[in-house]
Formats: sequence, structure tokens, C-alpha cells
Amino acid sequence: MGAAGGTIAPDRILHDMADLWVSLGKQGEGDAGVLRACSMTLVVAAEESDDAQAIGETLAALMPEHPSRAIVLRFRADAQRGLAARVFAQCWMPFGHRQQICCEQIEIAASDASLPDLAAVVLPLTVPDLPVILWCRSPRLFQLPDFSQLAAIAQKVVLDSAAFGEPAAALGEMSGAAAAGSLLADLSWTRLTRWRELIAQIFENRAQLANLPLVTDILISYRAAATPPTAYYLAAWLIDGLAKVGARPRVQFRSDGGEPAWRLSLVQLRAQGSADALASIALAEGSCAEVKTGGLVSKAPLPALTDYALMREELSIPGRDPAFERTLAAAAKLALS
Amino acid sequence: MSLENPFQDPLRFERRVPECAMVIFGANGDLTKRKLLPALYRLAYERRLDAGFAVLGISRTPMTDDQFREKMLASVKEFLEDSPFDADVWAAFAQGIFYMAGNFDDGALFPALDARLKAIDAARHTGGNVLFYLSAQPSQYIPIAQGIAAANVGKGSGWRRIVIEKPFGHDLASAQELSAELHSAFAEAEVYRIDHYLGKETVQNILALRFGNGIFEPLWNRRYVNHVQITAAESIGVEGRGAYYQEAGALRDMIQNHLSQVMATIAMEPSATFRPDSVRDERSKLLRSIRVMKPDEVLQNTVSGQYGPAHIGGEDVPGFRQEPGVKPDAQTDTYAAVTFFVDNWRWAGVPFYLRSGKRLPKRVTEIAIQFNSAPLAIFNGDETTTAPNLLILRIQPEEGISLKFLSKRPGSGMTLRPVSMDFNYGSSFGERSPSAYETLLLDAIIGDATLYTRQDMVEASWAVVDAVQHVWNETKFDFPNYAAGSWGPKAADDMLARRGHVWRQP
Repeated sequence: MGAAGGTIAPDRILHDMADLWVSLGKQGEGDAGVLRACSMTLVVAAEESDDAQAIGETLAALMPEHPSRAIVLRFRADAQRGLAARVFAQCWMPFGHRQQICCEQIEIAASDASLPDLAAVVLPLTVPDLPVILWCRSPRLFQLPDFSQLAAIAQKVVLDSAAFGEPAAALGEMSGAAAAGSLLADLSWTRLTRWRELIAQIFENRAQLANLPLVTDILISYRAAATPPTAYYLAAWLIDGLAKVGARPRVQFRSDGGEPAWRLSLVQLRAQGSADALASIALAEGSCAEVKTGGLVSKAPLPALTDYALMREELSIPGRDPAFERTLAAAAKLALS
Repeated sequence: MSLENPFQDPLRFERRVPECAMVIFGANGDLTKRKLLPALYRLAYERRLDAGFAVLGISRTPMTDDQFREKMLASVKEFLEDSPFDADVWAAFAQGIFYMAGNFDDGALFPALDARLKAIDAARHTGGNVLFYLSAQPSQYIPIAQGIAAANVGKGSGWRRIVIEKPFGHDLASAQELSAELHSAFAEAEVYRIDHYLGKETVQNILALRFGNGIFEPLWNRRYVNHVQITAAESIGVEGRGAYYQEAGALRDMIQNHLSQVMATIAMEPSATFRPDSVRDERSKLLRSIRVMKPDEVLQNTVSGQYGPAHIGGEDVPGFRQEPGVKPDAQTDTYAAVTFFVDNWRWAGVPFYLRSGKRLPKRVTEIAIQFNSAPLAIFNGDETTTAPNLLILRIQPEEGISLKFLSKRPGSGMTLRPVSMDFNYGSSFGERSPSAYETLLLDAIIGDATLYTRQDMVEASWAVVDAVQHVWNETKFDFPNYAAGSWGPKAADDMLARRGHVWRQP
């Protein structure tokens, strides 16, 4: 649905959505109609060049667990103002059921120049009384001067600092925005959850916990040419945790060589003079982590961290994440030092 | 001052799990193979267990550690539901699996167990914490408890807890005797009586529905609720357990424990906190408020049934008395229906109908709360235009909640029709729900007894059930009184009809 002069009316979009539900309802037979589900509005800001199919697949995968009204904004670098929209539904049939479950999706094509107009279009399209999450897939969009108007609609803005060119600058920029009051999430931090959980689990054991104040050195290795934001986050989080038990460790970052897709490969906590690490988690073959502690070796799966897996976790936390906020500020400081 | 783990992040991480060893008595049995080991492996796969977590299996069969590991590997592969098997995770997990053979009546077993636990603790840093799990025959519970007490294995440098499976006795007196024996080795707070129904997501969701929302609780009383039906139906028969079931029956096997606990969760007063004892206090209070029937009230308010042979789906299905190991004149109830009343201000006069049976048309467990009809029928039409609102809480096979209400049929005229608003756990949340055993085992390791049954609850439900059982024991029923594949005896329909109600057909 495009409108003359490259503008769109939110009322028209809402009307089209109502029609969509009526037509979906008519497709059902008898009691096996359509179930509408919604727990939030998810706004996705992406470049026109971004893979539309991949975004669609990610949203479809997210819907069963986080049913939402999805508003996908696709931007083109254009000085001409112009907006166009279409609506459709993402539906799925739960296994063994006769009833379809559907979520709405609105797609809006916009030029950079029309960014100042967009907040007024998106705001009436959000679902009342439910959280609004903005997933910004492009650092360029986040850095546009008028992006803040769009961000103001959302309770939380999800970014990925790994997509920014320079990690230190990205962390600095995000830390600045957070300090100014924006509620942010960073998928580079989300990528760490399984590693952090493995580390935390090691120290649930009281014998290992008793050794924690002895840690003097942290080694973080990664498969990338330059230190990625995730490594800074991990270091900052470990330093913060160890400070609580009175340890002041040194941190060493080590590159294991660049790969097209970077990954953490090793984290070790060591005590001075000790031959073995107090705790070590290493990337092993077969998407596994090898955890060594107290002479025991165990393995834990490290499932692939797709956009779906990362967003699934972030959408579960629509509010503040104090551990992230604390770590973001410390990681930015560490990266800029 | 003890250190706190500074790396915990409750917002993103699962619950904290302390280090421990788990001793399974009856390690060669079906429960261990089908439920316990698959649940433990799944917890290991999900990284929920400490790296040093150890399992020590005990049963009579002589086996080495490696032979036991091989057996458990085969069980895990066979009974792991909706989960991938990962050979690396298993290999690491299996390093912590150990075995010792022994007879539970043999006093020498327990000092040897103590020594083995100390060795495991030294090797795997289990902190002296031990979870004992009685997966043995109920007749062996008391010898095991006595052995643990005599060798003082119930005490140690860390915590010690014991999990026991139902039946918790076969009547009030035997439940008290079992409890006394357990208490010789463990304090009541260390005894975890497992009722796997309480570990199911929907049963836990009852608490969320009732106490996390403001709109239901004002309706949750005698003023608005007409009656409650709790159904646990099984389509299968006794499946080779005829000899055991013959001594138990549906009343003891299901209503005394699972369904009473579900009823308590539905009807209990709001707990002041979500701490284990606070929730359990309210459940216990409710169970103690169930009116104990006088002998002359029993046959009016209960129905005992037993299935006879039938031809289902082109197959001849034997009656209960034709099942292997069952006496040809057995008086066992394979179906039980009861009408309970709760003597408190909230529920006075509201019937709670509980029924459970084998060889019913389908496997289903659900709670149906029927609300009173609108006080005045202002719309013309048939009985569907005055159909009462129903809130259905489905426990299995598909966990979910449905609300039935009336809506105007589209078009001219004012015709109403009932519609259903469904919330389905499986489809509304894509995430895999943990099995009841995963939830409950983790709770026991963490020390959260909220979903476990306490002795006062066991005794309260036995008091109610014993009153019925005593009359049934004195009555000669004309069995069989329902055909396999039907919804039970006609007398059960009559029981509800006397109060103007009908059973829902799930």
C-alpha cells in the first residue's frame, strides 16, 4: 500500500490490518478459526540492502515465543522524502492443532530524509499497553541525527556493537547513550550469556568459590584480528565480579587469528604461581565448551548464536538489565583506555 | 563470613544449583531408567548441574560402574523425550555415575555407602551434600530409612535430603509409621515427598493464574463458582501392574495424592509469600478443611468402578479381572469418583468432583471450574444461550487454559453461542517445558520444597480418603460396572445429577 506523494496514514494501515483479520477469520472452518496473539510491538529498523528474507525468517521464528506486532522499517539512503507501507500476517499452525495462530506484520519503506516523519507514523501503530522494543540492525541508522525520535517510542533499543566498525568507539557511543538515559541492549553482550553462565556455575561449588579471591590473571582469547566488544564485556564483567571478593586481576587479551565470523575461544582464571588455571572454559569441537575446574572436565553445548537466538533472549527482558548497564560503562572504559 | 558467588545474574541465568551427590535406591528399576536418568542427563545438557555432580546407584544386581553407565546410557537414549543426545555431554556426565550392589535389608550396606560417598566427595567436590532418592519398592522404604539412621548416613558435612515416591503408606496409620521411620534419620524439612503432578507446568501455572492476576481471585469463591470438576483419565489399563494395582486402586493411587494436591492448589487461600512453607501451609490448611464423610454419606457421594472387557478399535480389550496377576473376584476400584466439600468460608457448599479411572476413552487430566450462570436469561434461545462460563485448566496431554463464554452470533437477531478463548502452553511459548522430574529434582537439589508434599498434607488427605475406603472395604460391589473405553459407571453420572450437574466430556 503506497500513497500519493510518498506519505502513509496510520489509520489506513490499521484499517488494512482489521481487514486482514477478517479475511484470515473467514479462512478458518467452524471453530478452527484464527487465534491472534500479541505480547509486544517489535520495531525493526534495517537498511534496504539488509536481507529481507533473513529478517522475515527471524521474525517468524520469534513469533511463537514472543508473539508481537512487528513493524519493519526499511531505509534507503535517499535525500527525497518518501514512505510506503504494506501489511500482512505471520501465521503458523501449532503441531496437532486445527487453529492457526497469527501475528501482524507491517512493512514500511522509508528514505533517510523521511526519518523525522516516521515517529508520528509508527507511534499510532504500536499496540497499546504493551512494551515497544526497537531492534536497530544498522549502526548507520543509530547514528542518524533524527534516529533518537524513533528510539523515544521504544522502551528499549537493541543494537549490535559487533556491527559497528570500531569496537572502542561503539562501546563509547553506546555507553554515552545509556548514560543519557536510553535503555539499550547489545547483542554482543547477549552472545556472552552462555559463557557467563558456565563461569557462574563453576563458582556455585563452594570449594571453587573459596579460590576466587586468589585470582590474579584473566586470559581471554578470541578468533578475530582485533579485540571484539564481547571480549571487553567479558573482561569488564569478570573484573567487576572479582572485585566483589577482593581480587584485582590483570587482564590479557589474545587473538588466535582472524576468522570471517569471530568467536571467543578461551577464558581462563589463574592464581599467581599456580600451574593450572583455577577455571578454564575453551571452545571445543562440535559447538561445545570444555570446562575445566578442580581437576574435573565437563562439556557443555554452545548452541549457534543466530539472530533468532539472541533476540529471543533479549525480548525476554523488556525492562532494565542492571548487570549489562554496569558492564557497558566498564567495558567502554576498558576499551578506550 | 561465607562468600557469595559474585557472577550470578538471575535475570538471564537459570536458578543456582549447589554441588551434590545423588544416591538412587532401586537404581535398576523402571523409574530410574525412564524418568530419573533422562531428567538428570537433560539437566546436565542444560548446564543446570554442578560439574562434579555425581549419581550413585544402588540395587541388588551385581554390576560395575561401567556396566551401570552402559545401562543408563541405553535408557537415556531410549527415554529422552524432545531432546537431542550429545555424546560429549554424556561422556562428561557419565564420569560422575557410580554403582554399588547391595541388599537394602543388609545393615552392612550403609557403612559401605557412607565410605563410598566420602570417596566421591573427595574426588568430585560434592561438598558433603547428598540427595537420597527412594526409587525402590514401597515395602523397602522402611528398611532403607532404618539403615540410613543406623549408619548415621543421614547426617554429614553438607546437607542431606531424601526424596520418596508415592505411595506414602496405604492408609493413615501406615503413613504415620513410614513418617516416623523417616524421621529417625531425617528432619521433616529434609524429607521431600514427590508428587510429579505438582511439577507439571500447568499445575504451577495455576498458582500464577490465581495469584499473579487480579481478575480471577475475586471470582474464586462460593458466590461465583458453581462447582469444580477434576478429572484424571487414562486410556490404558494396568499394563502389567495388576498385582500392585489390585492392592492400591484408583482412590489410593490417584485421589489420595495427585488429585487431592491439585484440588488443594485450586482451592487454597493466597499464600503471603512464595516461600515453600508458606505455600505448603495454605495447601495443608485446605486439605484439612475437606469434610471427612460420615459412613452413611459415603455411598451417596462416591462411586467405585471397575472396567470390564470391551472391543475397542477392532481389538478385544480384557477387563480388569482378566488382567495378569489379578484375582478373578477382585474388588479393586479402577475408577473412583468422589464429591468433596470444603468447610471454609470461601468454599462452603461448592461441590468438588474428583474422578480418576483406567480404560477411559482418552488420556486427559484437567480441572474445570464452572461458574454460575448469569442471574437472568434476557436473551431468547435454547440452553446454549444460558451456558455457564467455564475455566478449563488442562494439565495433560496439552497443557493450557481455556475460558468459555457466550458471544453474539454474527448477523441480525440476538443469538448467542459459546466460544472458547484458548491459551496453549506449547504453542504460545515455543520453549520446551522441563519435564516434571527435571523441575522437581532441581527443586530438591536447590532445597525448594514448594512443590513437594509435607507429612501433615499426607495425613490430611489420608484422613479424608480412609473414611471412604473403610466403607468401600465393607461393601461388595457388583463389578465390573463400566466397559473399557467408556467414561465410567452410570452411578458417577447419577452422583452429579443429584445436584443438577453433569460431567464434562474432556
